[in-house]
Amino acid sequence: MIAPAPMLKVFEKKIIPYLDGALSKEEHAEFEAYVRTNPELNAKVRARQEEVQLLTEKIPASVLSAASREALETEMRTSIFNLLREEPEGLFDGLRIRWEEFRNR
Amino acid sequence: MKRNDLFQLVAPLSEKLYRFAYSLIPDDLQAEQLVIDSLNAYLIKEQKQIVKRDFDPRNKKEAQQLRRFYFKGLLKYLSDIGIRRSGQFTDHLKDMGPSGHAEFYRLEAKIRIVISLRYDARFSVEEIAEILAIPRYEVIEKLHNGRFLLLGHHQPEAPL
Repeated sequence: MIAPAPMLKVFEKKIIPYLDGALSKEEHAEFEAYVRTNPELNAKVRARQEEVQLLTEKIPASVLSAASREALETEMRTSIFNLLREEPEGLFDGLRIRWEEFRNR
Repeated sequence: MKRNDLFQLVAPLSEKLYRFAYSLIPDDLQAEQLVIDSLNAYLIKEQKQIVKRDFDPRNKKEAQQLRRFYFKGLLKYLSDIGIRRSGQFTDHLKDMGPSGHAEFYRLEAKIRIVISLRYDARFSVEEIAEILAIPRYEVIEKLHNGRFLLLGHHQPEAPL
């Protein structure tokens, strides 16, 4: 007969999904309630949170300036309008497509 | 789907895509170019599917789901192209990483991608495996290696 897994082990496996927000509302509440009653698990959750924080800080967080973002979005728009071909659904749609192509030249 | 609808979906992703590109190539212009080239490659390859797709821009939920779908698709192309480009100047990356992030740029490109997707973009292990088209165990292995090299110790990735 297989012995049931100790509760601590079960909740330990839920640390990452908890930090990721991947638990359901009920599981989330249950996890937090258990963490409050178990200092060992509480310490593990905190250690894990600190580790994630540390790793996040080691990833470069480069931010685009407003002007660069606008320029990048303009280039993205140009790419989309140049590379995608729309089939006109009638005369007015055909005119709309031509007008958009003219604007994006 | 109309071209303008696609643009409205992907434009808000520009910042995130750039940030991800910069984690592969730490140069403003090269990172921006990488985003554009990946978008072009994606559009050329997936054109038929994009144009055929029925989409109602008034449906917010559908728009959200579709934005995430395109985000993942673009990240896939960005990773593929980015790995090849970052391989062209590996030595430069090791020496010239921006201050405070040299450690990160010393990692191999695929590990940087996995670490960025997991801890910056907050994708699950399963989603990363789907984006990079690699098995789940390989994602976990790269996370292990990345964590070890960045933090100096191993800690297992608990199953999600």
